[in-house]
Amino acid sequence: MLALIRPDAWNLPLFLHVLGATVLFGTVGVVAVAGFAIRRSTNHQLLLARVAQRTYMLGVIPAYILMRVGAQWIDSKEFPNGNEPGWVGVGFLVSDAGAILLIIVGILLAVRRQRILLAVPLLTGLYVIALGVAWVSMSGKP
Amino acid sequence: MSTYQWLLVFHVTGAFLLLGGGAFAASLNLMALGRDRPSDIVLLFGLIRIAVVAITLGTLLAFVFGLWLVHEAGYGYGDGWVVAAIVALIAANALGGAGGRRDEKTAKLARELAAAGDEPSAELRARVHDPISLALSYGSGLLLVLVLALMIWKPGA
Repeated sequence: MLALIRPDAWNLPLFLHVLGATVLFGTVGVVAVAGFAIRRSTNHQLLLARVAQRTYMLGVIPAYILMRVGAQWIDSKEFPNGNEPGWVGVGFLVSDAGAILLIIVGILLAVRRQRILLAVPLLTGLYVIALGVAWVSMSGKP
Repeated sequence: MSTYQWLLVFHVTGAFLLLGGGAFAASLNLMALGRDRPSDIVLLFGLIRIAVVAITLGTLLAFVFGLWLVHEAGYGYGDGWVVAAIVALIAANALGGAGGRRDEKTAKLARELAAAGDEPSAELRARVHDPISLALSYGSGLLLVLVLALMIWKPGA
């Protein structure tokens, strides 16, 4: 029952963190699916590349910032002395390594060369799996 | 991990599929608003079907494991925040379902137009921008955000 008790001051940062993480999951999924579809489609490659770019700029980046700021905010409240358990470390590992991965995806989308774009669905697909590992770790707190 | 922790993992997985699916559908719907070619609409509305699968699975997981969690954590099924969350989740599904049925008719028209020369059509444009369909779909999304807020704040608990 102790796990259920949470001070009211933690609610807003937790809400922003979870909302950002869920939107990040969905929008990274769009970039991954658009990337896979580019490999199959012959008539709509330009449209799919635009879907991936716009979703990245208007969805993935804002959602990542919301998730990461919310994470830091609630971490500062829940663990003010820095003695974080392992499940918090998994979350930070996925988010910080994910930032590097997302920067690479952004560069690939900006370059827009056909062969280079092929890496986008693989990298974003990998990140979707990593986000799954993070939410299992965050919610289960093993 | 305890039973409570396992239930929470599946409940949160449902929430991610539900809200993530909503964000997925919204991203593609926003792109469709800026397109005129019927085959483009067919492609974008076709990809939204992936979100429908995620939303359906997410609703089931969030609902079933959420109800189980209420019992496991010692809350009451009559608690205000629990009732409000259930009502909001059902309303979100009803709105999303109604919006989805209208979008399916739009996708059918887009497929017909794509097969008949793929020329832009005023009727298709009007259907893609239909304010009722948009209100139903985005209203559903806002209700899902409300459910998330209720889950976190648990007002009255």
